[in-house]
Formats: sequence, C-alpha cells, structure tokens
Amino acid sequence: MSSKINGQVSPQPCPHLVDFRSRNGSKPFRALQDCIRVKPPGGRAAIRREPSEVPRCSTCEESSRPRLYACVACAAVSCHAPPLHSHASAHALSIPGHEIAVDVDRAEIFCCACRDQVYDRDFDAAVVLAQTITATATTSTSGSTAMQCNVTGSQPENLRKRRRVDYRPWAPDSREHVIIGNHSIPLHDATNASLISSTELPWGLRGLNNLGNTCFMNSVLQALLHTPPLRDYFLSDRHNRYYCQQKNGAINGTKNSRLCLACDMDAMFSAVFSGDRTPYSPAKFLYSWWQHAANLASYEQQDAHEFFISMLDGIHEKVEKDKRKSQSPGSGDCCIAHRIFSGILRSDVMCLACGFTSTTYDPCVDFSLDFEPNQGGSGKSSSAKSHNSCSVEVDCMGSNQNCGISTLKSCLERFTRAERLGSDQKFFCQKCQVRQESLKQMSIRKLPLVSCFHVKRFEHSSIRKMSRKVDRYLQFPFSLDMAPYLSSSILRSRFGNRIFPFDGDDQDASNELSSEFELFAVVTHTGRLDAGHYVTYLRLSNQWYKCDDAWITRVNESIVRAAQGYMMFYVQKMLYYKASEKQDAS
Amino acid sequence: MSAPNEDNTQLSSHFFGDLLDSIIVDVASECHRIAKVGLDRNLEEEEEELRLSAQARASVADPSNSGEANNKYVVDIFGQTHPPVANEIFKCMNCGRSIAAGRFAPHLEKCMGKGRKARLKVTRSSTAAQNQYSRGSPVSTYSSYTNSTSTSRLSNGTPGFAGEEYSNGTYEGEP
Repeated sequence: MSSKINGQVSPQPCPHLVDFRSRNGSKPFRALQDCIRVKPPGGRAAIRREPSEVPRCSTCEESSRPRLYACVACAAVSCHAPPLHSHASAHALSIPGHEIAVDVDRAEIFCCACRDQVYDRDFDAAVVLAQTITATATTSTSGSTAMQCNVTGSQPENLRKRRRVDYRPWAPDSREHVIIGNHSIPLHDATNASLISSTELPWGLRGLNNLGNTCFMNSVLQALLHTPPLRDYFLSDRHNRYYCQQKNGAINGTKNSRLCLACDMDAMFSAVFSGDRTPYSPAKFLYSWWQHAANLASYEQQDAHEFFISMLDGIHEKVEKDKRKSQSPGSGDCCIAHRIFSGILRSDVMCLACGFTSTTYDPCVDFSLDFEPNQGGSGKSSSAKSHNSCSVEVDCMGSNQNCGISTLKSCLERFTRAERLGSDQKFFCQKCQVRQESLKQMSIRKLPLVSCFHVKRFEHSSIRKMSRKVDRYLQFPFSLDMAPYLSSSILRSRFGNRIFPFDGDDQDASNELSSEFELFAVVTHTGRLDAGHYVTYLRLSNQWYKCDDAWITRVNESIVRAAQGYMMFYVQKMLYYKASEKQDAS
Repeated sequence: MSAPNEDNTQLSSHFFGDLLDSIIVDVASECHRIAKVGLDRNLEEEEEELRLSAQARASVADPSNSGEANNKYVVDIFGQTHPPVANEIFKCMNCGRSIAAGRFAPHLEKCMGKGRKARLKVTRSSTAAQNQYSRGSPVSTYSSYTNSTSTSRLSNGTPGFAGEEYSNGTYEGEP
C-alpha cells in the first residue's frame, strides 16, 4: 500500500531500497546532500562531487552516455545503456548492498537490480532543500505586494488557516416545529390552483421574458438562479429584501425603494422558485441594474460577460459593509458575490539573469481564456480523426488531447504555462537593479466556490482595424479537476514534481475534493459580433434544459457538449447535490 | 581513410544522437515520476470527456438527427407557448405607464434618459475605441474587483449601430 501525502502518492519502494534504508540509518542520503548542485536560474538538480566534475563510467571511461549512475554506497559511477550493456547493473550484481544509485544528471534514485527509477521522500526533500537554498539566495521580500517565494513561504494574509467548526446535526424540537409551521408557506400547496404543478420538473425552472434585446441578461440570470451557493443563500433568506429596504431605505419617505441589486435578486429568486411556471419579467432588475451601471444602460449591443461582472460589482457595492470583517481582497468576506466567485491568482516573475523571483497575489472573479492563436485550417475536426493522422503542430496540446481541437484544459494549461516575457516587456529585477528579461507564470492560489470561465471569442485585427467573432469550437468537460492549475501543483512541477509539501498544500485530505468541479450552466452565443443571441443550458438533476428567454425545453447532453460555449459555470463538487440525480435520459 | 568532411559529419551526427538520447531519457524520467507519484490520475476521465464531445459533435452534425427546435413556436416543457414578443403588461417603475414586457427595455431607455435616441451624448472617438482592445498578448487577463473594461464583447440585438455610445455619466435619479 502506498501512502498519500498532500494528495500525492509516495510509491512503494522496491525491496532493495527498503534494504538500503534499513541499513543506513535515519539519513540514508546524507552523503548525497552535499553533492546536489543546482544551476540558477530555476535549473535542474544534478549530482557532482565537485562543481566542475565530469562524471565518467568507471568501467568504460565514457562520459557521453545519456544515463550515468553514481552508486550511493561507494560513489562509483557507471553507465546504463540497455540493451547494449549496463555497467551499473554489473556493479550492483558484483557487490551486494550496492544496488541503489543516483542519476547524476537528473538527481533521480535508481535501483540497478530492478533496473528502474525509484522514489524516496527523504531524497526528494533534500533535493528541494538544495533548490530552495539556491532560490532564496536570490530572492527577498520587497515592496508592498511581493511576497517571499520560497517553498514553505508565507501565505497571503487572508488564507491563514481558519479553524474548522465541527459539524453538529440539528433538528427542531416540537416547540420549534410549531414556530416554523406558523411562519412559513409550504412550497407544495395543493390549494393553489394557479400553480402548474409538475413534481417531475425541477424547482426554479422558469422562463425569463425578453424585454427587448435583453437575452444577454436573461442568460446570465438563469445561470445565477441555479448557482448552488447563490440559490441557497437567497432561498435561506440570507438577504431579506423587506428588512433591507426598511432598514436602509426610505430616508426621505419617498415611494421609491432604495437601490439594492441584492434585494432585486431576492425578489427574483422568490418569483422563480415560487412554482409559477409562466415566464417572469426581470423588469425591476433591469431598472436597478441600469441605475447602477449607467454607462451600460442601452438596450443594444450588450455583452453577457460584461453584465455578469457589472452585476457582481453591483451586489458588492450595495451590500452594507461589515466593518468588523477583514476587507482583504479575495477573502470573500465582503459580500455574497465575492464569497462565491472570488478566487486568488498567484503570479511569479523570475529574472532570467539571476533567478530572483517576485510573487504577487491578486483576486479574480472569473477566468478569461484565450484560444491558441492562429490554428489555421486545423480548426475543423471530425471525430474520425485519430491521433495518428495529425501533424505535430502548435495546436496539439498535451499527450492526450485530440489534435486540432481546442479544449478548456488546454486553455488552462496555457494560462498556467511559464511565459517568457519579451524584450519589450522587461521586468525590473530587485536584485540586479536593472530591467531584465524574465519568465512569468500564473497559477491559482485559491479556487472560488464557483468558477466561471469566459472564452474570449473576440478577435481584433489591427491591420484591418475591425473585429470579428471567433466561432471556433472549444471542448469543455462536464467534470473538471483544477488541481494541476493550483499554485501548489505549479510550484511542485517547477521543482521537478518532488514528493514534498509545497506552499498551498492543505494538510487535510479534503483539499483533494475541493479542486474537483462540476459543470452546471453553459451560456452560449450564436450569431455575429454585433448581432446574435444568447441561450443558457442548465444541468439540473443530471438533465439538461435549454433556457432561451421565455422558452424552457429539455435537451440531450450531446447538444450541450457540441455547443459553442461562451461562459461555463462550474461549482465545487462537494456543493453539487447528486442525491437527486435521475437516470440520464440519453 | 575517410575524408575530413565525412569525419565531421559523422562526429556531428554522433553528438546529435547523444543529445537526442539524453532528451529522450529526460522526458522518460519525468513521465515515469509523474505516473509513479500519481499526478496523472485523471487521464481516463479526461479521455472519456474528449470522446463524448467528439461523439456529441458528430451526432449534432448528422442531418438525420432531429436537432433542437430553434424557432420561437415550440411548446416548452410546461406545455406553454409564448409569442415572439413577450406580451405581459406591467407598469414602468420610472414613469408609471403600462408597458408590454417585450418593449420594456427600449421604453425604459428613453424614460430614464439613456440611450442614443434620448438625447445628445458624447460619442467615443475611434482612438479611444482602439485602445480598449488588447494587443492579443498570449497571457490571459483576469478580472479584478473594479468593473473592468471588457476587451471581448459579444453583443446581442439588432445591428445597425456603428460604434458604442455612452451617456455622459450623470444619471437622473428617481423622478
């Protein structure tokens, strides 16, 4: 059984490694530690007795072999060149106890008897330590936003461990039952004849009337009405519009209510989840939003993503600030909108001259992703194309991607890829005190509860001075694991994927669950840049519904998979209720 | 005895071979570690998603499949039909007039004094419009707390309006 630490498996050691460890005390790789050499900036670890040593096979005197192994017991260097010969294996066979060796160029442990690379936590820790020492020698805290970029470095303020509260189940007693009964209205009311009761259909499914080119708003509203934590917040009466208006409004005794987008949202949730299935007109909401976003108050040419951002901003602004709570960005303590959508991005910029790395953290409410530029004719793809038929082009992302198709994961891979900043974007290096070429890498420090991915389907040609829409298909999964894009994973890969707890790794196993997401809403756009139509697909009880303004219809999941996604909404899997899942209709 | 040129070719070929072998081992070693340490555990799920997507696209493209009804004359899942322009009547919260839902937005635009038809406004200059668009840098942008100017806007609605126009900022409060 291999043990797990921080979501990583520590592989089962081979018997020779077990034997080696038992014979060599608590620090079996102590001797190697001093020989670990790391070339800055951000270089790979190598094993050299002296920095300028050229390792040579003691049997055949060759130094140009791709694989040279130094015996950990006696430091003899041997080459390993299957299927021709393996002087390393010969060495292991000739002297018992000398089976374990280390790859001098890659700092990887090798068992010459098993002829396979093996892994050891203590050795990895030693390598990471050596790499960190090299890195911290060229890193220092500076400025108000940069933070120490070492492996176990300080976390951003608002991520200090919150004490978890133990779950205590609660049920109302008889007195509380009476109170609940007297002060609530049942959802399933048989006497209410106006309700189109259909218990097979999910609650909260209701069309939204188009008020005149407002499908940009309707599409986002449908997604938000079914965003699990947001839905729960409003349906649990966490923002009571009557109380809010009474408490904060009508100072001058005017008949008009005080502007509060959260109050309008509360009214909308009440209406949409009331059981009434006739289409709802979000007129009051539009009115409120136009007062908030005066510059966007025009019924033509609106963008759904812009509306989404504006709306979150509106909820944030109008909610009364609790002075006691910390207002640090990204913590989500300020308002429900940010509590749900806000995450934290980490940006590392490394000077290519000296290796000095500057780290900054910034909040974000969504992820805007670009397509890979200029795929040419390979944008089209058919399911018949196999891996064999594609050419090795820039559009082949990763080993397991179909060539020619852009995918959400490939966009995220590109988003978190180390980018060389060009000579026109030189970064001021604190250590060198001059502008240097550098390497920038983004990663996700904290995932939001709900991740909204916005696809930039917009192409501006500076030559032609016009813009056009990018209709390219983007594959998106129904289940998404964001673990590879977390800061801990990115940092780990930068240090060679060593078995080691990295900054951002949570000590408890629940962190593994919180990087898994489920898709619940897709906003699609069809048509041209200046004239088109938005439609939202919702996933409820594992059935997909198409929300086209007032028209709600059920669709097969393949329609959604094949659709041209513009905004995709994913919720953390642990918040996604699967208990009520029905059999997939397809 | 081979000519000097041939020696050089053989030598450079030999060096190239060594370099290539070394790079291959690099990749093998890294992939081996990733596999052993369990960092690629979702491979099957990812491939399944890709397969399902390809399958879905093929089935949607197939003309023999009844596609989703796109017109506005379908019956929804509750058994209702709706007119193309929503005809629910309600009172405008700004002026009190009774308006049909489908015409509410254009009415409100004029009623609130916004929109291009309501009054004269400053139109954005063409340079300002150009500056709004990014250079298409490979690094993706992300939204911060402030209301970011979007570099990617997909509009809905009828065409015919050349540029973007905005009101000059002040808005009239409730009448």
